[in-house]
Amino acid sequence: MIELLFALSIGILFGIGVFQLLRRDLIKAAIGFAILFSAINLFFVAVGAFEGEFAPYVSNVEAGRQTSDPLIQALILTAIVVSFGSFSLVLGFVNIISRRYDTVDSNDINKLKH
Amino acid sequence: MELAIFTAVPFCLALLLAAPFVRTSLNKSSQTVLSTLVTAALFAWLLSMLPRIQDAGAISQTIMWLPSAGISLSFYLDGLALLFGLIITGIGALIFCYAGFYFDDAEEHNRFIVWLSAFAGAMLAVVLSGNVLMMFIAWELTSITSFILIGFKGAEDAAAREGAFKALFVTGAGALALIIGLVMLSGAAGQILYPEEEIRFVGDFASILQAKTLHQHEWYMLFAVLILLGGFTKSAQFPFHFWLPAAMSAPTPASAYLHSATMVKAGIYLFARLSPVMYPNDLWTSSLLTVGLVTMLVGAYFAVKQRDLKGLLAYSTVSKLGAIVAMIGLPNQSGLKAAFVGIIAHAFYKSALFLVAGTIDHATGTRSIDRLGGLRRKMPVMFWVTVISALSMAGTPFLLGFVAKETLLDAMLHYTAPWTQLVMIMVIASTAFTAMAGYMLIYDVFLGTPRKRVHFHQPAPWIRLGPALLAFGSLCLGFLLEPVLIPVLKLALPKSFELHLFAGFNEVFLLSAAILLSGLLLFLMRKSLIRRITFPLSGDAVYREFISYVEWAGSAILHTQSGFVRYYLVIILGAVAAVLVLSGTLSDVIAGQRFFPSDLSVTITDLAKIFMLFLTVAAGLLTVVVREHVKAAIAYGLIGYAIGVIFLIEHAPDVALVQLLVETMATVLIIIMLGRIRADARLKVIKNLWTGRHDYSFGLLRDLGVSIVIGLAIFVFSLIALQNRPQRHSIAEWHLANTKAVSTDDVVGAIVADFRATDTLLEIAVFTTAALGVLTLLARGRRRGGSLAPQKAETGLLHEFDATVLEEIQDATSLSTPFTRSVSFIVLPIAILIGVAQILYGGSGPGDGFTAGVTIGLAVSLWYVVLGYNEAKNLLPWFQPALIVRLGLIIAIANALFPLFIGRGFMGHVEFDQALGIYDIVGFFGLHITSSLIFEIAIAITVMGGLGIIIEAIAYPTERSQEPFETPNAGQI
Repeated sequence: MIELLFALSIGILFGIGVFQLLRRDLIKAAIGFAILFSAINLFFVAVGAFEGEFAPYVSNVEAGRQTSDPLIQALILTAIVVSFGSFSLVLGFVNIISRRYDTVDSNDINKLKH
Repeated sequence: MELAIFTAVPFCLALLLAAPFVRTSLNKSSQTVLSTLVTAALFAWLLSMLPRIQDAGAISQTIMWLPSAGISLSFYLDGLALLFGLIITGIGALIFCYAGFYFDDAEEHNRFIVWLSAFAGAMLAVVLSGNVLMMFIAWELTSITSFILIGFKGAEDAAAREGAFKALFVTGAGALALIIGLVMLSGAAGQILYPEEEIRFVGDFASILQAKTLHQHEWYMLFAVLILLGGFTKSAQFPFHFWLPAAMSAPTPASAYLHSATMVKAGIYLFARLSPVMYPNDLWTSSLLTVGLVTMLVGAYFAVKQRDLKGLLAYSTVSKLGAIVAMIGLPNQSGLKAAFVGIIAHAFYKSALFLVAGTIDHATGTRSIDRLGGLRRKMPVMFWVTVISALSMAGTPFLLGFVAKETLLDAMLHYTAPWTQLVMIMVIASTAFTAMAGYMLIYDVFLGTPRKRVHFHQPAPWIRLGPALLAFGSLCLGFLLEPVLIPVLKLALPKSFELHLFAGFNEVFLLSAAILLSGLLLFLMRKSLIRRITFPLSGDAVYREFISYVEWAGSAILHTQSGFVRYYLVIILGAVAAVLVLSGTLSDVIAGQRFFPSDLSVTITDLAKIFMLFLTVAAGLLTVVVREHVKAAIAYGLIGYAIGVIFLIEHAPDVALVQLLVETMATVLIIIMLGRIRADARLKVIKNLWTGRHDYSFGLLRDLGVSIVIGLAIFVFSLIALQNRPQRHSIAEWHLANTKAVSTDDVVGAIVADFRATDTLLEIAVFTTAALGVLTLLARGRRRGGSLAPQKAETGLLHEFDATVLEEIQDATSLSTPFTRSVSFIVLPIAILIGVAQILYGGSGPGDGFTAGVTIGLAVSLWYVVLGYNEAKNLLPWFQPALIVRLGLIIAIANALFPLFIGRGFMGHVEFDQALGIYDIVGFFGLHITSSLIFEIAIAITVMGGLGIIIEAIAYPTERSQEPFETPNAGQI
């Protein structure tokens, strides 16, 4: 049951992110970009191999308790920081576009052609 | 191993010369001395290898590169490679010496010799490479460095750009043919192995040369033609010769080195290298012979028609290259001796002539033969250099060029074929033209009447050294055949041979004398002769036609482009969605999927998760529908927090902590950025969001459709992944079992800082790069200032809540109340304390380097938000993000490298406290000093610095917000 809901939320969040990217508002597109990252992180934590009841600590392992998947967590941990880095890069792009073209509407900018 | 070091030396020299501190601290002459000495030392080193090759035949050394694919860096030094290596390093040293006086501008000189030494390395790698793949890589590197050197003056000179592109295009296209040919050759020689369904690409030259039956292989025709194409384009053979004269826009030292002495001989090297196995086939020999002879004649004829000094030299180089190729093509390897002697003689006289041409250009500012004349008095050394070298080129007794021509004619006379007469006529005609070109160089440039109009300034005296030494070589080496040339040639040639300076008054000598005389005759008739004959065929015209088609196709494609980035994304994602739907993949998968689980039971924690998931989805939808950007940002923050709570429920405390901190940071960043964007621009886009010109109904439906299909696909994919979780069969189990060995309690922390530390190291490097990206983007605006930011007056068009909030943020002082100020003052030291605690005790509780870095970064960003950029910068003088990042990365790398010195692997685990005997002391404080701890500290410092860079760049005041802010205050709205 919870799997279905997780998958549903991931799918919806992903769809929202893509939709925001496709729209003309660059600020919302940047936010959509960040939502895509969140959806991916959510996916990772959901597919962790361990149905754990405890945080992954050695003390918990030694006490014979079932812990959650530490590898997935380590991956997400670094992914969060890296995705923050790329998100701030996107914000930097939006910022510089707004300054150069005086707009945050991607329909106002067709300079790619020229 | 030593051959690898040998090949690496020029590359290291290039890197060293390019290093900023070397550029500033070493002046032009010390850079000249350094580069010359290094190259000369390489020459001496190669020379010292001579006895070893005499004994062993060849030296072969291999360093495994990609063992799983069978690819290695292998080096192979035999007589042939030695001969070319000696030319590359020997001429190279003289060119480096010459370049020091050719360039007046120190910066230009430095840039030039950096690329020149990179080229020398690439060229050495071509001739020393022991396998096909490595040779190809080096071959391409020479093309690229040649491209850069031809286009050296490209910034101001369109001809240089065109010449550079032409050279890259022709040699690059040839290289494509070459690599296919070489791979097929390796396959045919059994040098591509297939052990256990894998592919090992060995392509070892030494083994290929053992494959004696290659010429009977069924692919022979194909790979021989492809390899010939590669060599012909590189060595400027007709009809591909046209790039070489166009390459003369390179600075003259580069022309002398690349386009005369070395790079254009790469094709010849390849032919000579592969000849032993390719020979017995007629296709190989007759192609080489035909193309070589035609090139020889065409080049020699075009040379005398040139009025540009370097053009003349370029075409005569083409001619000589043709002669050498033809020699290699003589059946039964009978022409190899003539080819090699020709290569050596040519390297000496042609480089000298190029350097003379460069000196003349430098001194008079022109290279036109029509404008030059009578330079003998002004440049006596250059005059004698030219006399010797040009006569050597013409083949006058008893210079080195004479030996070359004698051997060439001798080889030709022994060639018997039905059309020998025609071949002999071509050879005689082209050598006569070459002799004529030599006389023209001496008479038209140095003798005759001096031209008054030409400006003249005497170049530095040392510029003569290189040309003089080369001319000296042309003069003396003919007499030193026995002690100098023959030992080298003996190694390079497969069978015994004889070489004499003067073989007696035989028919070869008579022919040679006749050629010199007819050259003289042609020279005397030159004014009337030259303009009569024109040559109808030109590869250049074909090239131009081709390029114009490419440009036409380019502009045709441009017509289909809208230029709106958004539509490219629509098309890309739309195509993905269309493929998913139309191919039936999506519907098939959905049909085969069981969506509703039989077990509908829900625990209490599941309820919490469901609530949080609902929150993320609702907040996600909110970011779409809200009509204020601030609200969208806050809704986004809500998503982040909800996911953070999910992490917490999923028993991932470390991740949850990072997530909460980073999402706070991201939300703050969006809001700061909103403050830097003009409110009316944002209002406009919000107003047009659903009803704009391009977005009414169809556009909206299209975007909705694409995102629904993609969202659906992701949903199905995640569901399948979730229902098939790898139950307990992952490496995570190993991690859980072994964390104790690295003395920490936190398994996640151990994975980040120990088991997968290299990953983490790269990840903080990526993060730093992203931060630097932000800095570069926004610092660019900072320097250009007003040109980026439009200086329109703010319109009064502002909008309710959104506008007010943003005004307050934009006008940062309004956030700076006594309360907020004291909060931010208190928060920073606390954050630092928390950060330190998280690092030191991260082993036994949530928190690690990442969270520590983000915590401190967050507190600093609070200062920037509350106090504004200028005040925060003043009050935090120690917070220098750029320095902090550097410190963090240096600690991380030092910590990663240290274990190597004590015999552990890269990033190995080291227990510092036990090694230092302070285990008990620090243990008393609950600490444990290991390499992981130091890595965590480095991570924290790097992340903190990276965040600092980002926050400083984004919070940096624009010109607009520094001005007093004229906006209606809250009361007026």
